[in-house]
Amino acid sequence: MGTVLSVKNLRKEYPKFTLNNISFEIEEGMIMGLIGRNGAGKTTTIKSILNLIHTSGGDIEYFGMNLAEHETEIKQQIGYAGGAVDYYKKKKIKKIISVTKTFYSDWNDDEYRKYMELFELDEDKTPSELSEGMKVKLNLTMALSHGAKLLILDEPTSGLDPVSRDELLEIFKILAQKGVAILFSTHITSDLDKCADSITYIKKGQLQFSGTMSDYIEKCKSEGIGETLEEIMIHYEKENLHEKFA
Amino acid sequence: MKNSRKLLGKEIKLAASPLSWLFISFALMAFIPGYPILVGAFFVCFGIFQSVQSGRENNDILYTVLLPVSKTDAVKAKYRFAVLIEMLAFAVSAIITMIRMTLMTQTTPYVTNPMMNANQAYLAYMLLIFALFNWVFLGGFFKTAYKFGFPFVLFIVISFLLIIAAEVLHHIPGLEFLNRTDTLGSTTMWTILAAAVGISVIVTFISCKVAMKRFERVDM
Repeated sequence: MGTVLSVKNLRKEYPKFTLNNISFEIEEGMIMGLIGRNGAGKTTTIKSILNLIHTSGGDIEYFGMNLAEHETEIKQQIGYAGGAVDYYKKKKIKKIISVTKTFYSDWNDDEYRKYMELFELDEDKTPSELSEGMKVKLNLTMALSHGAKLLILDEPTSGLDPVSRDELLEIFKILAQKGVAILFSTHITSDLDKCADSITYIKKGQLQFSGTMSDYIEKCKSEGIGETLEEIMIHYEKENLHEKFA
Repeated sequence: MKNSRKLLGKEIKLAASPLSWLFISFALMAFIPGYPILVGAFFVCFGIFQSVQSGRENNDILYTVLLPVSKTDAVKAKYRFAVLIEMLAFAVSAIITMIRMTLMTQTTPYVTNPMMNANQAYLAYMLLIFALFNWVFLGGFFKTAYKFGFPFVLFIVISFLLIIAAEVLHHIPGLEFLNRTDTLGSTTMWTILAAAVGISVIVTFISCKVAMKRFERVDM
């Protein structure tokens, strides 16, 4: 399997927060969960790998290409969806699509129609008329219609009801089977139990772990930290709380 | 199709407010006697401001930078859209000005007009207001690609000072020619217009370059 995304020693310094030394790799068809508490640095990591913010150091490569040098080429092959962000909320979906597709050389109208039907999206609606779950599905449709090989999703399951969340995670698994790699940030650990192959755990801007989920759980189990991701996260984060109040 | 053309299409189809197009009609103010007709140019800019505001509300900048285009292309697209609206308004005003300078040179309300008449000087001022908008407002907006309150207030203040100065200028002895209605053959007046064209092109070009550099530094 080829490496889709490689992040090495990523660093971003803010006056009151530093994301430090974040490294991870995503392979073709892999689902990676980016986990951590609110404010741990998940969104900063995603913004960095999308070149939306300037990093203070580190290397980001997609498909073996450096992000800074091949940005437009790389963006042809990736898709992004933010949980709560919607674009042009009062424009009809078909109008947004008619503009968006002109930017992608590999746009496939048949794939677009297939996903619109699969996700039961009506292109005569506007984004403001869609539920949160449908908005995520619309963003996924746009990404998949231009043949994205990697989906980067920032908290796509936040704000979704349990059924929609489960449905979305099921979709992730189907897409992964087709070779699409998925990186999604979440603080809902049960999402990862259902579909993730690997995790990157960030705690207060520091990399806690990056690797396969089974390895991590096995390791934590043997150390008596916990048997599920939730237990493990609570163990690490609570430990800090105890130190604070000590 | 080049990215720049696709992005201009995106500006027109998705980001633009209908008011940007509607406010081009303020260029028709060039027909009104006894009125500070340069205010029309200000309203044209106000229409463009509505598009920038609507774009911000609809996450237009984020949508654009996530497309397979460079950040500098996103800036150029905003400038191209603004210049398109400005040029359409300028074309309307230029047609009216030509009508007034050829068919209506002796029309009483214009001959006795204490306020600005539509002639080459008026068109020159109009271009200066557009250049000012591009420089102060668009250039200022791209410092953050989010905050536009201060740049717009600054534009309002400077543009109204320019409008007042332009209205005062033709009352100063020796400068009355700036308000004449029969200046079709005046080399001086055409030179003034040509100079304004040059200034507005240079200011807009430099402003766009500066905005591209500013936007490159912005963290989204």
